[in-house]
Amino acid sequence: MKQSKDPFEAALEEQEESPPDSPVGEDELNSQTPNEAQNQTDGGQNILVDDDDDDYDDLGPTIKNPSHPSSSSTPKLHSTSVNASVAAAVINKNKEYDDDEEEENVDVELSKFPSSADPTKMAKMQAILSQFTEDQMSRYESFRRSALQKSNMRRLLVSITGSQKISLPMTIVVCGIAKMFVGELVEKARMVMTERKESGPIRPCHIREAYRRLKLEGKVPKRSVQRLFR
Amino acid sequence: MSNPSPGTSSKAKVGSSQPSETSFKRKRGVFQKDLQHMMYGFGDDANPLPETVTLVEDIVVEYVTDLAHKAQDIGSKRGKLSVEDFLYLIRKDMPKLNRCTELLSMQEELKQARKAFEVDEEKLATLE
Repeated sequence: MKQSKDPFEAALEEQEESPPDSPVGEDELNSQTPNEAQNQTDGGQNILVDDDDDDYDDLGPTIKNPSHPSSSSTPKLHSTSVNASVAAAVINKNKEYDDDEEEENVDVELSKFPSSADPTKMAKMQAILSQFTEDQMSRYESFRRSALQKSNMRRLLVSITGSQKISLPMTIVVCGIAKMFVGELVEKARMVMTERKESGPIRPCHIREAYRRLKLEGKVPKRSVQRLFR
Repeated sequence: MSNPSPGTSSKAKVGSSQPSETSFKRKRGVFQKDLQHMMYGFGDDANPLPETVTLVEDIVVEYVTDLAHKAQDIGSKRGKLSVEDFLYLIRKDMPKLNRCTELLSMQEELKQARKAFEVDEEKLATLE
C-alpha cells in the first residue's frame, strides 16, 4: 500500500518531535492520517523518509505555497512511532499546508527503526518541543522543512563544472552544505545586529558584515583566482 | 547601468531560446522562495527583505561555485568529480561534515527501504 508521507517526518527517526498542528490541504496528507495512526502503532516499524526532501525533488516539486512567511496556518510536525496518540490528534487539525515539501511527498517505505535514534535524545527533543510557542514552532518547522531545490542546485553545479555527470548524492551534499552556510550567515548577521543594537528584519549590511567575519574565520573558501569581469 | 550588488556574476535572464542547460547566463532569484523560508527558519523575520534574500542568494551561489571549483581541482587528480571531494573540502568544519555524512547515510537507508518495498510489491503481485 502506497502512501504519501511528509518528508518532514523523515528525520524523526532520530529526533522525537511533537506532532504538527498545522493544517494540511492536500489529499495525500489527508490520506496519511489513518495510515499514520496505523503505522504509529506498529511495533518496530517506523516511517523513514528523508527530512530534507532530498530524494524527492526528482519527482518534480510542483506548486510552492507562497504564503508561508505570512501564513496563519499553524506549524506542523509529524511524530515518530512513539507518539501515536499525539500524532493522530494533531493530524486531525491539518487543513492547509504551507510549505514546499508536501508536493514532494514520496511513497512511504517502512523500514526498521534506525540505530542512530537515541531514546534519551528523543525524549529531550520531545520535552523541548512540547514547550514551544506557536511562533517558535513555526520557525522550527521552517528550519526543518526548508531546503534548496535539488534540481536548481544540480543545474547550477552542471553550469559550474561543465560536466553533466552530477550524481544525486553530490547534489544532496551540496544542498546540505549550502543550507548550513545560510544558517551561519543568518545567525552571524543576527549577532551583528545585536551588537549594533538594531532590530527588525536583517538588512544587507548585516549580511555583508557577517560574510566578512566568516571570511576572516576561514569558513568561506577563498578564490585562488581573482574574480574579474563581473 | 552599474550593477548595485557586489559579487554578482549573474545577468538578467535574456529572452533567448537557448536551453538553460547550455546557457551560461544565470537567472536571478533561482533560490528566492526557498531562501525566504530558510532565512526565517534560521532567525530572520517572517518576511525577509528582498534585497537581503538576493544578497544571500548571490553569496550562496558564489560559495557553491568556489566550493565546486576547488572540488574539481581535487577531483581532477583522481579523474572525475565525486562526493568525496566535497567531503574532503569541508573536513575541517565538523558540523557540516557530520550533517553531510548523516544525509548520505539517510539516503542509503532510503534506497534500501525502497528496494525492499519493491521486492515486497512484487511478491504480492505474484501471490495474486
